[in-house]
Amino acid sequence: MPDPVLLDAPPEEQWQIDLERVGLLRRLLNGRKWYGVDWWMVVISSIMVVFFIVIAFFPGLLAPHDPLEQVGPRFLPPGDKPDAEVLLLRVDSPIESLADLAGQGRVPTAVVQGAPSSEDIRSEAERITQELAATGSDDRIRFRILRLETLEEVLAAIQAGDVELGAGSSQQLEPLMDAYPDVVIAGPISGEKGGKTFLLGTNQIGQDVLSRLSWGARIALIIGFTASIFSLVLGVPLGLFAGFTGGKIDRGLTLVMDSLYAFPGLILAIAIAAVLGPSIVNVIVAIAVLYIPTYYRIVRGQTLSTKESLHVEAATSIGATKTSILRRYIFPLVIPSVAIIFSVNIADAILTGAALSFLGLGLPPTTPDWGIDLARGQEFIQRAWWLITFPGIAVMLVVLAFTMLGEGLTEIFNPKLRKQ
Amino acid sequence: MTKRFLLVVFAFALVVAACTSSDDTTTTTAGAASTTTTTTEAPAAATTTTAAEAVAVCPSEAGGGTVVIGTTDAIASLDTADAYAVRDWEVLKNFGEPLLKWVPGAADELQLGIAESMPVASEDGLTWTVTLRDGLLFGDGTPVTAQIVASQLTRLLTISETGPNQVGLTLGNPYVDSIEAVDDRTVQFNLPAPIAFFQQLLASASYIPANPAIFPEGELNIFPEPPLTGTGPWIVTEIVPEESMTLEPNPNYYGDQPNLDRVIVRQFADPQSMALAVQSGEIDVAWRILGAELATELGEVDGLNSVVVPSGPIRYLIINHVLEPTNDPNVRKAIASVIDRDELSDVIFGGAVDPLFSQVPPGFLGANEAFEDLYGSPDLDAARAFLEASGYSEDNKLQLPVWYPPEHYGATTADGVLLIVQQLEATGMIDVSVQAQEWGTYVGAATSGEDYAVSVLGWFFDFPDPENYLQPFIENGGIGTMVTAKEDGSITPGVSPELLTLLTASRLETDLDARAAILDELQKVYADEVVTVPLWIEPEFIVYRDGICGDASLPNPQTLNIGGTMEFVYSVLNTDGS
Amino acid sequence: MHPLLLTFLIFGIPAVIGLAYVFVRGSPGLRSYIVTRIALTIPMILILATVVFLVMRIIPGDPIDSALGPKGTAEIKERFAEQHGLNDPLAVQYGRFVVDIFTLDFGNSLVQSQRPIVDELGERLPATLEMVIPATLLALGLGIFLGTRAGVRRKSATDYGSRIFSVMIYAMPIFWLGLLFQLIFGVWLGWTPIAGRIDPQIPLERTTNLLVVDAIITGNWVALRSVLSHLVLPTLTLGLVLSGVFLRLTRINIIETGQEDYVAAARARGIDRGTITRKYSLKNAMIPVITLIGLQVAILLAGAVLTETVFAWPGMGRYLIQRILARDFIAVQSVIIFFALFVAVISLAVDIVYSLLDPRVRY
Repeated sequence: MPDPVLLDAPPEEQWQIDLERVGLLRRLLNGRKWYGVDWWMVVISSIMVVFFIVIAFFPGLLAPHDPLEQVGPRFLPPGDKPDAEVLLLRVDSPIESLADLAGQGRVPTAVVQGAPSSEDIRSEAERITQELAATGSDDRIRFRILRLETLEEVLAAIQAGDVELGAGSSQQLEPLMDAYPDVVIAGPISGEKGGKTFLLGTNQIGQDVLSRLSWGARIALIIGFTASIFSLVLGVPLGLFAGFTGGKIDRGLTLVMDSLYAFPGLILAIAIAAVLGPSIVNVIVAIAVLYIPTYYRIVRGQTLSTKESLHVEAATSIGATKTSILRRYIFPLVIPSVAIIFSVNIADAILTGAALSFLGLGLPPTTPDWGIDLARGQEFIQRAWWLITFPGIAVMLVVLAFTMLGEGLTEIFNPKLRKQ
Repeated sequence: MTKRFLLVVFAFALVVAACTSSDDTTTTTAGAASTTTTTTEAPAAATTTTAAEAVAVCPSEAGGGTVVIGTTDAIASLDTADAYAVRDWEVLKNFGEPLLKWVPGAADELQLGIAESMPVASEDGLTWTVTLRDGLLFGDGTPVTAQIVASQLTRLLTISETGPNQVGLTLGNPYVDSIEAVDDRTVQFNLPAPIAFFQQLLASASYIPANPAIFPEGELNIFPEPPLTGTGPWIVTEIVPEESMTLEPNPNYYGDQPNLDRVIVRQFADPQSMALAVQSGEIDVAWRILGAELATELGEVDGLNSVVVPSGPIRYLIINHVLEPTNDPNVRKAIASVIDRDELSDVIFGGAVDPLFSQVPPGFLGANEAFEDLYGSPDLDAARAFLEASGYSEDNKLQLPVWYPPEHYGATTADGVLLIVQQLEATGMIDVSVQAQEWGTYVGAATSGEDYAVSVLGWFFDFPDPENYLQPFIENGGIGTMVTAKEDGSITPGVSPELLTLLTASRLETDLDARAAILDELQKVYADEVVTVPLWIEPEFIVYRDGICGDASLPNPQTLNIGGTMEFVYSVLNTDGS
Repeated sequence: MHPLLLTFLIFGIPAVIGLAYVFVRGSPGLRSYIVTRIALTIPMILILATVVFLVMRIIPGDPIDSALGPKGTAEIKERFAEQHGLNDPLAVQYGRFVVDIFTLDFGNSLVQSQRPIVDELGERLPATLEMVIPATLLALGLGIFLGTRAGVRRKSATDYGSRIFSVMIYAMPIFWLGLLFQLIFGVWLGWTPIAGRIDPQIPLERTTNLLVVDAIITGNWVALRSVLSHLVLPTLTLGLVLSGVFLRLTRINIIETGQEDYVAAARARGIDRGTITRKYSLKNAMIPVITLIGLQVAILLAGAVLTETVFAWPGMGRYLIQRILARDFIAVQSVIIFFALFVAVISLAVDIVYSLLDPRVRY
């Protein structure tokens, strides 16, 4: 966004005078002519930023599910349809369907470890139990689940009569059934979670990745914006003040800022998280504190050298007031650096939040947060590429959007740079 | 392929028990030793082929060379009178050896260590005498005499309290009054009260006589300079802190020399880098701590074997018996009725962990499924009935804070807590507030019994006996359960005093069957009081490259002979020479 | 000789010589400035030390709890606190702490091995330096090279390419980059080791704990090879991420100085573009870049924490995190003081170089 102060700067060339005359909308639309690629950078990144802000406000727009709810099988690849699960029985079994198991105590049941069968069979049993309860029966279906390595083992266990029933996916069963003549497929287990596909897949506990990403945008932007604004509001005035006044106050402030600065940021964040417990407010405070000295030092340094430049000295000699020197000469020169830092700051705050989550600190791990998803997905990097890819891309896009916006704006509004 | 052979067979044992007679459960699971026998002699099981594949066969002559083992555990202390961590004990037991030791791979089968014969108890059970092997030497050639053994073991009773871990207060002083040498080869232990598990205690790392040249009598030496020599088959020749440790065979060891020329233990910052290292061949064995997911992934890699070890730490909910609202027995029982352990296992660990139905894990003497028998959870109707009995309803919800450590037990803890919260809230009568607290702060608050009503913790035994799964939660304020009031040990009002009576009885009873019966009863009372809510047994995995093998003549060669005691004995290792 | 002392000598002697040179050759103003700066460093470190001391005491939890978990009884905790003086009044503990700082005896760690802190740091500080120094050099080299080219040929393909690179690399979470490198170069391609500092099977006598130096001193080329190959991925990860920032700043400043009057004057005199860049633009553009090096130290250390964690690098960052979590008050205080010293020295150096380069700034 153009800073009003900048527009106060004396117009120098015809095109800038033209620029002053046109309205904001025309200026935006025709900007491409004057600024070229940088205009495109600003436009594209603005669209991205707006997109992320909209998602942050209304995560439900993109998220089809509750980010915390288990909505599908674990590790379902993006766009894949889960296999249909079927019930397996011995040929001579008196059981015909799950409903026959009501009130029989814990029925030994074989499933493949890690397959969705066990989940499905229990949720189906739960449904039947509730139907029975509606008819006044308080019989329940219970299983003693035996988790085996392969589907062959499941079939063998049923064949041998070691278990009463089993479950498995129909596609995988097809080629195997011939080898186990005593085992029959008794029919599908409908299970409420079956059959759905997920655009970006599901994670290690069957949550929808896309829904988690949408809700994660909210957390990321809250952290980024709040922390950056907080440190900008404190850091810039302090830097200007110290650089401009100089003397003892400057030295004292610089000492404090340097001390603060010497404390490596991540460690400070970890310490704060340890003192206050994991929460989003603590993460914001920790990150905001890290950046105050960054603004301070850059702004102070530039103020210091600008103060001694020729035109400031000239202005002072003709009796310009301190405020007007600060406003007309120093502040505009400081803007580019501040703009760079601010854009970097938002991006960095998001990255620092992710880093804290990576170290297992900062946010409570039940939060739908990109950093946490990345840290978790890391465990499954070779098995489920989508878990680390999508949150990683999300972080990169947000960071890119803010950095590019900052870059483009710097190019456009830096008074030195636009002198072509 | 992940070989889940042992658990499978064990589950079969349970199934058979359940099918034949429900009264029979106690006998089938009565002793861990019997389970071991079942597992090793059950070729008829459906998984025979898997099991056969699992056992890497090394030619008896070939082999030797170097094996590199990866771990994520740091060394915390290497003085027997101070060490109190799984990795430390592993190192101690490889360069040292106690009087008795566990058969590698077995669940709890004892064999002679540096003792010549099994220890003998006096009539009243208050003194035990042990005779040492003849001509024993430490790794540096110094003779091991009874006087040295007695004075070195006494360090546990006297100077352990000056160390950071103070293991003596846990494993020494409560059970042993003094240790003395009767003659050059006979050591006598004087006990304050008879205990049923003294021999198990003697097999723990704390009862390894340390070399006085390295570990002087009057002071601890927690981080000694290598070479570390002792009574064991190895010598620690090099330690690079945080990085690696090298062990070479001890020429003065009384028994057979190890097959390998060298073992290097490399330390990793996290399981991921360890997993990548075993994949790239930088290490040969990855042992502790790989999560279930990583181990499953690695199992699918060619040339790697990923096997679950038949033991592991348990996870449970601490229920505070003094704080609101869990001081109400109905609330506790409602929580116990709600937990769906199968769902926890399936959703969070892909079925890789075993549900736990009693605080004493299966395989231990007298272990039963008290929580399953009593509550048949998940039983939402029962839970609602308990809550209604205490005046809660859908309009007047029970406000329940649940605390957990986000980082310490790995990220699965958060998933588990999230699921438990959903299970609790499914009653429609409980409103849970989940609170995460970083471990350093969390653990004090959870165990002091002053802050958290419900919290999550893990436990792994110090010595493999049911005592070590029950006593810590009942006596002395319990671990945050506050079942017994802290100072005087009196039982908290509303809790059955039978808990303490049965616990004491189980400790003194030396007859196995009678002790199993007492323990069975004790677990039932424990479940009725809901002292804690056991959740699951966290599996431990070992992953190793083809060409590395254990000793096929011992139980569990497919886990490189890591059995129920979770001890990794480096001297059973061999390679196929390639 | 103690590895910590050796490390100080290796890096301290050139620094002292440099400082002495500047001090002797510099103007009286600069001289008094250097003296003031050094004098200011001491209170700065004390302020920081005090903050850390207090923060560590405010954090709930104690070392025994962290180490033993549910197995730490009240009796054990009490006895431990008594032995380590944790029950003494804060003022007494603080006094002891300050005395420790000035005698350079940081005491013993509270957890794990309870070894002297100086020994533990002697192992970890060199490890961190060995990774951080090449990473910074890589970042500077790459950043300034690409930044200069992009700034000189503004709006060219090089310019946009460099800018996209800097932005993309910056947007990547550093641990993600590290992990991808591990997967690609370590596992898929098998070119580099993925973790640790040296293959543990290669014996190497350690005197400085800077393994590169140790290997060179002992002429152990096998070890040197192993150490260098272990250095590749962490250096690449940390260096690439940092280079983005340097690139951006160099580019902006090259463009700005390119518009200064003296450059225009030089151009009018017909001096060719390369010479202008080297002699005028680059020198002036370097001023803010040098400030940025100072600013990057803390960020560098934070990046080092993550890189060390990903690559199982036994350095200061990982040590610090471990010890904060373990509530090892003594170790944390000492590490923070070391970090503070490190940052103070760098920022002092940066300020001196800054004032040498930019004669407008006088203190």
